[in-house]
Amino acid sequence: MIRWFALTLLALAAVVLGISLGPADIPLSRVIGSVFGQGDDLTVAIIRDLRIPRSLLAFLVGGSLAVTGAVLQALVRNPLAEPYLLGLSGGAGLGAVAAIALSVGGVWAVPVAATVGSLAAITLVYRLAIVAGGVLDTRVLLFGGVVVSAFSTAIMGAILALAPAAELRNAMLWMLGGFNRASWLTVTVFACYSAVPLVVLYRAARSLDLISLGEEPAQYLGVDVERLKRLLYLMASLLTAAAVAVAGIIGFVGLVVPHGIRMIWGHKHTSLLPGAFLLGGTLLVTADTLARTVVAPIELPVGSVTALIGVPVFLVLVRRWVK
Amino acid sequence: MIFRGGDGGTGRLPTLIPSATEGVSFLLPKIFFFLLTGAVACSPGASDTGVFVDDLGISIELELPVDRIVSLSPSLTEMLFAIGLGDRVVGRTDWGSYPPAALEVASVGAGLSPNVEVVAARNPDLVLFYRSTSNAVAIEQFTNLGIPSASFLLDSLGDVPRVARIIGAMVGQREIADSLADVFARELAAAATRTTANQFSCEAVILVWDSPPMVIGGGSFLSELLRLAGVRNIFDDVAGPDAEVSIESIAARDPDVIVSLASEIPGFAARQEWRVIEAVRESSFVLISGSQFEYASFRSLDAARELKEKLPECAP
Repeated sequence: MIRWFALTLLALAAVVLGISLGPADIPLSRVIGSVFGQGDDLTVAIIRDLRIPRSLLAFLVGGSLAVTGAVLQALVRNPLAEPYLLGLSGGAGLGAVAAIALSVGGVWAVPVAATVGSLAAITLVYRLAIVAGGVLDTRVLLFGGVVVSAFSTAIMGAILALAPAAELRNAMLWMLGGFNRASWLTVTVFACYSAVPLVVLYRAARSLDLISLGEEPAQYLGVDVERLKRLLYLMASLLTAAAVAVAGIIGFVGLVVPHGIRMIWGHKHTSLLPGAFLLGGTLLVTADTLARTVVAPIELPVGSVTALIGVPVFLVLVRRWVK
Repeated sequence: MIFRGGDGGTGRLPTLIPSATEGVSFLLPKIFFFLLTGAVACSPGASDTGVFVDDLGISIELELPVDRIVSLSPSLTEMLFAIGLGDRVVGRTDWGSYPPAALEVASVGAGLSPNVEVVAARNPDLVLFYRSTSNAVAIEQFTNLGIPSASFLLDSLGDVPRVARIIGAMVGQREIADSLADVFARELAAAATRTTANQFSCEAVILVWDSPPMVIGGGSFLSELLRLAGVRNIFDDVAGPDAEVSIESIAARDPDVIVSLASEIPGFAARQEWRVIEAVRESSFVLISGSQFEYASFRSLDAARELKEKLPECAP
């Protein structure tokens, strides 16, 4: 219970810090006033329309990626599984790069193209992994994911080679990921959209504990393994595609956070999934706050900051774990 | 003969321009004449050898005259045409469309990390590069092939006359290059003095891209153009030519105007998060487009004037 309280407090502190700090030098007293609509228009707008939605979006995306990583690691029984492994990043990147290089107009062109690309990759990998008898082979799933990613990267390389220099750089920047598109609209859309996959994944927590033992034992213990695998793969993929649409490709969170929680709290998915959600959100919102403030007004790529914070913490955990 | 670039240059010949006060109004027709015709006003002299130092600090030994030049930078291509050497350009990059006569020259593809074989097939006496680490391998390959190459940085307005003088000397067109450089440098100094005296009447941000937000920093010639137009770039403190910033940074610095490298008001202006910026809400956009805003050149002072005309509310 204390652990849950501590983790929730940590998550709240990270979000509050994210709202309090930014490149605009606003004292804490004015930040608090602005949350309640008091103060000059610009400060209120910065706090209410930029910092709050941005911190919330970073938290939701971080939490979703961490949960997805935990589920996929159990599903394919591979500790290196992460949200982008199954061809998603390649598909999303290809969609985004194609939209940017072809100068497709419209405010939502790039995120929509990225989502379409990731959904196409998911479908392709899924079709590859359905083997004889309609069984979803998780080994082929992994293999298919790597192959589709490699193929997408190859096409992306060809597009970038043919694109003018400015477009090329813009595409690369988009792929690095970030939360500059955060608004109340994106937060609302993402929160509503991610609620269903998150609930479905959490409800599958007990079955995931069984599937971690192996598909056969899980089958004997009453789990409809094939149906579960398909459902989990679909939900995890849709969640990652949504994260890509609002924030680009942010690696590391989905790979490392689940392992961190496992080392602290063990392997039971009923506590692993909510724990991963809180820690993933905390890590990403903290990384985003640092990315915005450390060398302001220049903004660092949030993925780099995530790795810079996460790797040392993860190494400390690994050392404690192996002792 | 050793020629090294730098402020003021060395061994400057008497100028062809009769009076500095005639300035750009005199300079432009002359440039246009060369740009349109690619004509060479004076022929290079008898065969000779010259040693030059480029912006990488590399000494280049050239057999003069240089008759076949491949230019791997649009700014250098424009400069070659401006100093009357258009007919010696035998290769250009895909990117860059000025002057129109340059489009008649065969393209060799990309300017950064170029295809060495395609460039070598143009049988050049000299290959001109934009100074970039991306070109290190290509430079080495040209050296191995015995093809001289030189790299120049054309990032600021001050680079324009400096590089023009070096290239003019390299290719035996020194008088014209020096004259154009002298007039440009004088005009630039005069314009800068006028701006300093008048102080800034407006603040602007030059937005290159919206997701992530990329702005022009103090290290870009575009920031200099703004300054010459009497407008302060709110990201002048960013040392590099550009940087990724947050929307909050732009909102907090509250620009009067958003200068956008586009031909129409960008779509992001309608997005919720961008409307925190007052200039976006008030649709205070100034749209600039054209190659004069893509790189520093002899046309840059004209570009500054064009920018100023688009910002009447910022007039001192």
